[in-house]
Amino acid sequence: MVDLETIRKKAKEIVSREDVKHLIGWRKGTFGYRVTPYWVEAPEDAEELVYSPLCNTNLATSLTLAEKLPLPKGQEPDRRKTALLVRGCDSRAVVQLLTERGVDREQVVLLGLPCRGVVDLRKLKDSYPEDNEVADAEWKEDKIVLNVSGEKKEIPREEVLDDHCLVCRYPNPVEADETLGEKVEPWAEESHPGVEELENASFDKRWDFWEKEFERCIRCYACRNACPMCYCEDCILDRLNPTWIYRSNNYSENTAFHIARAFHLVGRCVSCGACERVCPAGIPLGKINQKLVKEVREKYEFEPGTDPEGVPFQASYNPQDQEDFIL
Amino acid sequence: MSEKVLQKANWSSFVQALADARELWFPVKDGPIYKFAPYSGDVDAGLEEYAYSSVPPKAVVLPQTETMFLYQVGDKETSLPEEKKEKVVLGARPCDARAMDIVDRVFQWDEDDPYYLENRNKTAVIGLACNEPFVNCFCTSLDGSPGSTQGLDVLMVDLGDKYYLRSVTDKGSRILGDAESALEDASGEGSQAEEIIKEAEGKIKRSIDTEGIREKLEEGWEAPLWDEVSRACLGCGACTFLCPTCHCFDIQDEVEGFDGRRCRMWDSCMFGEYTLHTSGHNPRPSRKERTRNRISHKYRYYVEKFDKIACVGCGRCITSCPVNIDILDILSRVKEEL
Repeated sequence: MVDLETIRKKAKEIVSREDVKHLIGWRKGTFGYRVTPYWVEAPEDAEELVYSPLCNTNLATSLTLAEKLPLPKGQEPDRRKTALLVRGCDSRAVVQLLTERGVDREQVVLLGLPCRGVVDLRKLKDSYPEDNEVADAEWKEDKIVLNVSGEKKEIPREEVLDDHCLVCRYPNPVEADETLGEKVEPWAEESHPGVEELENASFDKRWDFWEKEFERCIRCYACRNACPMCYCEDCILDRLNPTWIYRSNNYSENTAFHIARAFHLVGRCVSCGACERVCPAGIPLGKINQKLVKEVREKYEFEPGTDPEGVPFQASYNPQDQEDFIL
Repeated sequence: MSEKVLQKANWSSFVQALADARELWFPVKDGPIYKFAPYSGDVDAGLEEYAYSSVPPKAVVLPQTETMFLYQVGDKETSLPEEKKEKVVLGARPCDARAMDIVDRVFQWDEDDPYYLENRNKTAVIGLACNEPFVNCFCTSLDGSPGSTQGLDVLMVDLGDKYYLRSVTDKGSRILGDAESALEDASGEGSQAEEIIKEAEGKIKRSIDTEGIREKLEEGWEAPLWDEVSRACLGCGACTFLCPTCHCFDIQDEVEGFDGRRCRMWDSCMFGEYTLHTSGHNPRPSRKERTRNRISHKYRYYVEKFDKIACVGCGRCITSCPVNIDILDILSRVKEEL
């Protein structure tokens, strides 16, 4: 893998460059297991960087989240680059953004990091409750070492890893200017957990399942905002004239929202799982996205975010494409 | 004021008695979270496992979506939705009841808001004191306590094999009267309850000294601090929707076929479309201004109007934030840096 000192040293080097504005990484949060995205502006800030299985946000989101407000008269825009720490999934998100021209490759510096998967905080907290004291976790081969209130404990990573990470086939960056440390051997075969089970259920069962899940949605849009692929300036959900999706919180409108989001992610979702991890209502959004990932892969042999020179799925019509399922 | 004791063995008959007299709302486990929902006859559902509801009980008195009136497209007549029922909320945490008290002031400040007030006046709240405060609780910094009675009609304290109940208002006494058959008179349990509450207070670890924050917020309007603390913000509505004192709403018409309804729904100052002008001008164009608004509303604007902080220290905004934006961290930085 990679040690923290190497990351910090490299980060310092990068932010010292004249053409780099800042480097986005993670640092310890304010309590318990929490880690927060962190902007390294000056070389000395790099000392606060952390890299652990608790780094559960997809940093590619911060590229498109940056607000471009009108500048005061006479002020020149800052054209320096943004540097980003990227693991497999972050880099796949950046690659997908590159193919969609959502991000300009010349404007980003990618510092690659191998990854052994991030934890699902819900799973972790259920088995190993956090306290106000800052708690830590680190990778140790196939294990995770927890450090809660000074007590160390080694646990199998399968126990607490995010479902998406359990089946991740891209633990190493697919695109980076430089990748630090040793590559990680991929551990999983292609599979889509939770999808087969639902596919095999009856129509009524599936309907009941999603009705119960979507009814719980509070429409905070954390899933949309945490998603590196949701970056439309004019989102269908925010439109008022016409109002495509009503603001009413009920099963019908909530379902319309989730279907709209799912459709917009077809052939674009990079399976990072950020949406599911941030959902305050605990809706298993990964199951929807993984179904689409599976369909696109089986029917079109397409996997988003893996080819920086590639063409976006929805812009890559091929006369040989399957069409036997079209009504 | 009446003091009663409820043996846990009598729990089902207590719940049934409440549900017979009024519409009973109860913290229900829904997936991995708790939220308040109307009681549906499952009397086994106790409060043993429940720590706090992710969605606060403000949703009972200020529903996320509320129909104001109904109409037919092309018709000038309007009709009102069904009249609201008398409700009782069982198991609200004391901080959530204090939050209702804070929201009450807003909805009867310049004009009385009939929708909210009808709901609120028809709702009684039975609070459950906290024996084990949560990781991000800081109610004691805001004049609250795990056993605060503000905003409550009845306070309930878990004593192990039984609950101690004390009515705080006349409404509360009436409710205990309705469930009389399941209750016994208290004999000295009150002091045991006080001890438990005191012990729970000691378990709260997070805190903030609120002295001077209002002034600092006013002075430090343009401080670079706001860029820093809002930087990681995703602009989602988790913090505001799950906040028990956030009360902003939007009003919209929703039409299906010819059936129209005017309804209002929770809005969030963290959303880009919040108070967006028709002209396209946005008074809070970025997440910096929105984050500053969220904090300032609770710790400055509300204070200036009602001489009280509009935060009860429930910690939900801290716990639910996907990127660990922590109001206590912001407030202590406001104190130190502005």
